[in-house]
Amino acid sequence: MTDLRPITALGTVTPGYASFGALDLRENAGLALASLALRRGTLEPTPFGLTLPEPGRWVAWQGVAALCTGPDQWMIEAEGRAELDFSAELKQVAPGCSVTEQTDGWVAIEIVSRAGTGLEALLSKLVNIDLANFGPGGATRTGLEHMSCFVIRRGDVHAAVLGARSSAGSLWHALETAAKRLEEKVA
Amino acid sequence: MTRLAGGLINRSQSLNFTFDGRRYQGHPGDTLASALLANGVRLVGRSFKYHRPRGVLSAGSEEPNALVELRTGARQEPNTRATVVELFEGLEARSQNRWPSLGFDALAINDLLSPFFTAGFYYKTFMWPKGLWEKLYEPAIRKAAGLGRLSMEADPDTYDKGFLHCDLLVIGGGAAGLAAALTAARSGARAILADEDFRLGGRLLCELETLDGAPATDWIAALETEFDSLPNLRVMRRTTVFGIYDHGIYGAVERVSDHLAQPGARVRQTLWRITAKRAVLAAGATERPIAFADNDRPGIMLAGAMRAYANRWAACPSETVAVFTNNDDGHRTARDLASKGVHIAAVIDARPKATALADYRVITGGMVTASRGRLGLKSIEVHANGRSEWIECGALGVSGGWNPNVHLASHNCGRPIWNDVLQAFLPGEDGPSGVLPAGAAAGHFSTAKTLRSGAAAALRALNVLGIAAALPSLPRSEESRYGVAPIFHVPGRKRAWVDFQNDVTMKDIKLAHAENMRAVEHLKRYTTLGMATDQGKTANVTGLAVMAELTGKTIPETGTTIFRPPYTPVALSVLGGGDAGPHFRPRRLTPTHHWAKAQGAVFVEAGQWMRAQYYPRPGETHWRQSVDREARAVRSAVGLCDVTTLGKVDVQGADAGEFLNRLYSNVMATLKVGRVRYGLMLREDGFAYDDGTCARLAKDHYVVTTTTANAGLVYRNMEFARQCLWPDLDVQIFSTTEAWAQIAVAGPKSRALLARIVGGFDLSNEAFPFMACAELTVCGGLRARLFRISFSGELAYEVAVPARYGHALMERLVEVGADLGVTPYGVEALSVLRIDKGHAAGPELNGQTTAAMVGLGSMVSQKKDSVGAVMSRREGLAGDRRRLVGLRPVDPAGKVVSGSHLFAEDAPQSFDTDQGWVTSACYSPHVGSMIGLGFLENGDERLGEVIVAANPLEGESARLRVVPACFVDPEGERLRD
Repeated sequence: MTDLRPITALGTVTPGYASFGALDLRENAGLALASLALRRGTLEPTPFGLTLPEPGRWVAWQGVAALCTGPDQWMIEAEGRAELDFSAELKQVAPGCSVTEQTDGWVAIEIVSRAGTGLEALLSKLVNIDLANFGPGGATRTGLEHMSCFVIRRGDVHAAVLGARSSAGSLWHALETAAKRLEEKVA
Repeated sequence: MTRLAGGLINRSQSLNFTFDGRRYQGHPGDTLASALLANGVRLVGRSFKYHRPRGVLSAGSEEPNALVELRTGARQEPNTRATVVELFEGLEARSQNRWPSLGFDALAINDLLSPFFTAGFYYKTFMWPKGLWEKLYEPAIRKAAGLGRLSMEADPDTYDKGFLHCDLLVIGGGAAGLAAALTAARSGARAILADEDFRLGGRLLCELETLDGAPATDWIAALETEFDSLPNLRVMRRTTVFGIYDHGIYGAVERVSDHLAQPGARVRQTLWRITAKRAVLAAGATERPIAFADNDRPGIMLAGAMRAYANRWAACPSETVAVFTNNDDGHRTARDLASKGVHIAAVIDARPKATALADYRVITGGMVTASRGRLGLKSIEVHANGRSEWIECGALGVSGGWNPNVHLASHNCGRPIWNDVLQAFLPGEDGPSGVLPAGAAAGHFSTAKTLRSGAAAALRALNVLGIAAALPSLPRSEESRYGVAPIFHVPGRKRAWVDFQNDVTMKDIKLAHAENMRAVEHLKRYTTLGMATDQGKTANVTGLAVMAELTGKTIPETGTTIFRPPYTPVALSVLGGGDAGPHFRPRRLTPTHHWAKAQGAVFVEAGQWMRAQYYPRPGETHWRQSVDREARAVRSAVGLCDVTTLGKVDVQGADAGEFLNRLYSNVMATLKVGRVRYGLMLREDGFAYDDGTCARLAKDHYVVTTTTANAGLVYRNMEFARQCLWPDLDVQIFSTTEAWAQIAVAGPKSRALLARIVGGFDLSNEAFPFMACAELTVCGGLRARLFRISFSGELAYEVAVPARYGHALMERLVEVGADLGVTPYGVEALSVLRIDKGHAAGPELNGQTTAAMVGLGSMVSQKKDSVGAVMSRREGLAGDRRRLVGLRPVDPAGKVVSGSHLFAEDAPQSFDTDQGWVTSACYSPHVGSMIGLGFLENGDERLGEVIVAANPLEGESARLRVVPACFVDPEGERLRD
């Protein structure tokens, strides 16, 4: 194991965290990511037991999840496995597929509403997504403050935004600003 | 005039405000305009061109006259329509476009000079001499004309934006809009009701007619209660839908805190982009005036507005009023005002027959032919039945009919359709799809009809969407008559205003006609009719009618100008809608950014990236000192530079090699595993556009690097090629630019430094030669990639680790390399090193240069086809004889300035004799003087020649010697060492 000490996308040793009213923002630094693409003539695999989802969808199963990112392409997420060589693991269970390590290409920010409200109000300030058709299991690529992101609806009160790692600070600022304004409006 | 009885203002509370420094009082529910009228203030502004005294014309967002500077300090906002400003405690407003005071305006001299200020005045008058236009005429005109003043301070407020989606968007909260919203809300459809007013009801708030025998406000209050209970309906007050865009997207501005003295913690406004499957356009109608001589005096206003001020705001500009109308609606104003105790001097009805709605004098077949009262109306001259009389009145309500607000339905180049009965344009069929006009916007002018049409429009929209809905029971209401006559102006010789805001008179339109500016678009530009903040809402149709009359055409034949967003003015701040300052746009930080910052690096923007430009050390007072030191360190010891920003594309698949063969001009398929090759990409038109290295990690796995600037473009082109050009190839690509932190380790001691972190990995020349690559581990087990490539011309490597370790790796390299003289260097030194070596970069690959020009002509393989290869051989392009050369000043202390143009010595300096230009220049510590790269005609055949680099912008000229475009180690021994 290396003796180098990693930093998170937000540039600190501990992941970013902030709370605004009922909304929590949390940098998910432990999330491993790898992209998976089918090669010609390859059968669609079921890595780690996942049935790969249709466009616009996200599925999760026992700490691993997948979202569709394009024709015959998916992003595979693995909770808490950023420090492992997850893409190598994925390659093992997706024979004949192209796998690309993506863990450090992204920042993942989890948004959770403790009170069960406010999540959609927040998202409506950030992304042009029809939230009525974006229930749990929804996932899409969209623009957020001029940044290209994946937005995932992990649950009724839980969404995640995956953005480019280099602009993690700008993404965090955008989410924080919107959440803060929402808190002030409620107050 | 004091307040009338009734109205929808809260008299239990008073609000203090000032206008031009004078203190007044109003009440919650007032607008600034209604409060001014209630305080007896008729004069509120000066007109744009002639500085004519003006008063409030309308009671809504169409207002052309009552424009004020609102607030003070940084929040001072010019051209604010007093008719839509909600009164708040402490409001400060000032009139504009006057000096020294509103009552006495010196520039009113313009009014006397009006014969000179006719249509086309500027075009005709300031033609000569041409050179004076920019420096003298235009500034002088701008100073004299113009409306309010900007604070010239930064906007202190914050603005927000957001996105909404719905089945049905109802635009307008009047009778039709409320009925539509009710229908949609009860059906369970997702609906949004947006209205620009702070109170729902539209014209219902301005009329005395009852609904189900009770005041309309009772019905509205009941609806609001029901609306509050329905989660599927979002009611947005103070929200103007200002434009319709492609694919059912509606732009709307919500004025969140404009009605407060200060926003406090709130945002000022929010820009909403609403995606609606259908929309009901219930935007109402705008009354138009009738043009007659001196019809712009304060106190002359729209009859419907006069009624609105009396009924909703309990305000009237005078105790004695008259009404001039060509339709029945004008009589309703007289009736309502009479019922509130206002004396009706007369109703002048232009039609031959008319019936009074109450006990007042009616003059049928009458025309108002003149008016008196310099700062406020005193009397009007009425001509009827062959005789004239002067009638005293302090205010005149004018109704020339109502124009449905077709604006939004006419966005996307929609054309409204003329209706002869209504003498107005109705929404056309060719505007934005999915928009259903209803109510007055669709030409229904009675409350009963507007209610029915609103509900019916919603029902139609919901049916199309497959949402079951029922027609709600609607309240009983009046079925008033309208009966408009086609009278737009009163013939006469004196000036009669058509467009109040731009001071466009009947005479101007006649002049435009006489000078052949007859097409409506010409009419608009020549006279300025319909321009500025009100966009001619009260003027356009009248202007068209007059032009139609002059040309002998019908109004529909005359046509309309194009309607464009925004419907009403929108502040640029809210369109920007977000952060200013450092967060104005996203910033991309490299993995070593925080480390570099801690070292005191100076950063430079490279697109969105922030890159370390150089690392000043104590004692260094000039950037050149830092950059020279960094460059020397690389040439003599070892330097470190974060090069993460270069694009990295992971290319996999059985056909990856073939795919890259087609993208790169040179062959990539033959690249051996574990090797790197320099590659050049061409555009389809044959010009060079990007270069970089391509590493083969496995038989079916390459990593392509691109320039920083083109990382996105190359990836996009690769994706296009993969999906659209050659979908038959088995290839998969992913951007991994961000996933890996990549650090260049360059200099003669780079191998020694790297050896300290790569464990047992063999870095010897034999095991890992120039252009080798490998996957390995560093720093005790961290997976990494190593490339032996060199931008500087020195022995060099680039090492990549997962991005989160980039910071720590940089720290480690600096720590373990201290004794080797390891030196971090920024992009400035990086640039010096590459100019030394003659490597082409952005300034050379600028989209206008070919492979041959940068000396890479042989890289365009003849053995295979690739993007741009055929076009690169086309006549003209292939014949370009400019070549990249090195340039050294003949005088070693001389300067080389990039951008300078190259000429033969003693040749005249002109476009015809231009032989090229300097692309890059720097001071090279290695050479000991400034050096440059440049493109020169037949440059490769002119080595040794002395030429002239001219910089006429700064009057500089330098003699340069043409040398090979490589100043360091031309044989490339160092990088292979």
